[in-house]
Amino acid sequence: MFRQSRPPDPYQDLVSRAKDGDTRAFDALILKYGDKLFGLVYSMTSHKEDTHDLLQEIFAKAYQSLPKFQGKSTFYTWIYQIATNRTLNFLKKRKNRATSSINEMEEAIHQNPALIDTTNDANPERQSSINELQIKLNEALMKLSESHRMVVTLFDIQGLSHKEIAQVLNSSEGTIRSRLHYAHLQLQSALQETWEERF
Amino acid sequence: MKPSVEQISNLLSQRSNLRPEEDYWQDFLREFHHNQRMEAAAKSAPSAFVEPLRSWFSEVSPSKWAYGAGLAYATAAIAFFLVPRGVEINTMPSTPVNHQVVPAHSLEQLDPSSEGYAGEQVF
Repeated sequence: MFRQSRPPDPYQDLVSRAKDGDTRAFDALILKYGDKLFGLVYSMTSHKEDTHDLLQEIFAKAYQSLPKFQGKSTFYTWIYQIATNRTLNFLKKRKNRATSSINEMEEAIHQNPALIDTTNDANPERQSSINELQIKLNEALMKLSESHRMVVTLFDIQGLSHKEIAQVLNSSEGTIRSRLHYAHLQLQSALQETWEERF
Repeated sequence: MKPSVEQISNLLSQRSNLRPEEDYWQDFLREFHHNQRMEAAAKSAPSAFVEPLRSWFSEVSPSKWAYGAGLAYATAAIAFFLVPRGVEINTMPSTPVNHQVVPAHSLEQLDPSSEGYAGEQVF
């Protein structure tokens, strides 16, 4: 996981070409940032269709606003700002669908090889414990407020630094650290019972 | 015993590899281009004239709306005091019309020899 500052803009050339109307360059930017943004939005919504619709919206907004992008921040920060704003607005409107979302994330947890422990000492029993923890963790995540879940997602899942999260969410580093601390405490408490049973 | 923050972070970091299916981005780009074309077609319609105005108004900050409302109020107030009131409207004097009604008995006394050129009766 990375926590150090990113280079200024690794895809500056693509950004410039996309600003000049090169649609292929914008396609390339979608492919470069798509997986990361998918992870961000899916972690927040736990719903594939919502994630897909939101990503379409996010990239459409970025495409329309690209002529106004002045390069004061990196493209990376800029598109993350669009993604977090759109996702948080969407979640405000969709609070009553959280239960079904958890079920869908559970399915993803069981199917995704990324969440399966492939170390040498891995065994079925241990894997089952990890899966159960992941499910409990997801339930706990969904119980956090959107702003706390966003900070945890950006820091622990996306690997952004406190400073980068502060820039993306247009907030202070102190606020980000405070939210992260509170969210970690909540997650620790939520996992305590399962942790004691399994480890 | 609670898991430590590091252990929570490790569990969460396993999710950084959550990715869509292999062909997902090809289909995504196809849909994205389709949506862009539809939007461009919609913009080329008459709404193309309205859209920049709508966009401009949507970007105007609340303080500018307040200035605009104040300016409109001031204009209305100035107009109210500057427009003269109580002005009399001068109308053209009407010309009196002389209505003479021919009594019925005089119609019976018409002289056929006094017919005009077009056959009308001359009184």
